[in-house]
Amino acid sequence: MMMWIFGGMTAIGIAFYIADGQGAEALAALLSGCSQAVELTLSLAGAYMLWMGLMNIAKEAGLIDRLAKAVQKPLGRLMPNAGAAMAPITLNLAANFFGLGNAATPFGVAAMKLLSRGDGIASDDMCMFIALNSSAVELLPTTVIALRTACGSENPYDIVLPTFIASIAAAAAAIFSCKLLAVAKKPRLSARRTQA
Amino acid sequence: MRKTAELAVPCGIVLLLVYAVVKKVNIYKAFVEGAGQALPELVSILPSLAAMLAAISVLRGSGALDILTRALAPALAKAGIDSELAPLLILRPFSGSASLAMLRDTMLVCGADSATGRAASVMVGSTETIFYTMAVYFGAAGVNKTRHALPAALISGAVGAAVGILLIRIM
Repeated sequence: MMMWIFGGMTAIGIAFYIADGQGAEALAALLSGCSQAVELTLSLAGAYMLWMGLMNIAKEAGLIDRLAKAVQKPLGRLMPNAGAAMAPITLNLAANFFGLGNAATPFGVAAMKLLSRGDGIASDDMCMFIALNSSAVELLPTTVIALRTACGSENPYDIVLPTFIASIAAAAAAIFSCKLLAVAKKPRLSARRTQA
Repeated sequence: MRKTAELAVPCGIVLLLVYAVVKKVNIYKAFVEGAGQALPELVSILPSLAAMLAAISVLRGSGALDILTRALAPALAKAGIDSELAPLLILRPFSGSASLAMLRDTMLVCGADSATGRAASVMVGSTETIFYTMAVYFGAAGVNKTRHALPAALISGAVGAAVGILLIRIM
């Protein structure tokens, strides 16, 4: 997938340069892009260290476990058949909430393995988990804040509240559409049809 | 509103530190351990960031990106969306580093504190790389019939982006 995005963007860009008779400029633009990546990494490093350090304190203080416990009941209602997977599901969402993506992924993978029935078909609970995961409810969008600072924003924190509200709206939409589509796309019905 | 956010974050940090000390956490050690993961994580995304920034750089520099945004402008204008957000909207579900690179490009072109720059920031912050997440998680569970996971995730992402853009306009 990324191959086509990268290939398409680069090829089209270079083709436009060549059509303009500016081959050398195309090369300069490619090189400048890669150099920008190094500069960007360096300019993000400080903010990353600050936030990952602070969020690790939150983790060590047991805040992720507390949040996971607090959301266990309401999430249980959304994913009634999760069973043993409930623990890694809540830990995954709680770690994501504190911006610890690296800590969240292993929980997410464990949750999906526990939810799997080995038939290769996504269950309602799996779909709900994936949809909730993609709504990105996060305490502080630290990467975006760091990037805004690096781009010279005077108010990098301006976007915190609207981002949070938008994430909550996305989560609500995830829950609604999952519950609706789960009824519309019962696996038994699609199995009865001839394989598409 | 701006003042509240400016105060909320440092106050939250103080609360966190006090709470952690009460919970007998060695906050220095915890901070250092967490911060220690920052550079490895950044270095691990550096190559994909370089690839995407190079691609965006030729696309922007050659004028191809302008043609794309202008082509999409009428359709987006009907929905009240700035056409500068179009490339970001397209890339967002596919790749985190690509959307980070595009967000940076948008903020440098339009200004980080402009309405477009803020809308782009909110959009990236409130959505997830849906296709990537699905590939990792469903891959781990050996699922190939994903049923309604993708439509639900895409609806959720669209609602998040729309609400974000709307909030920036009214806030």
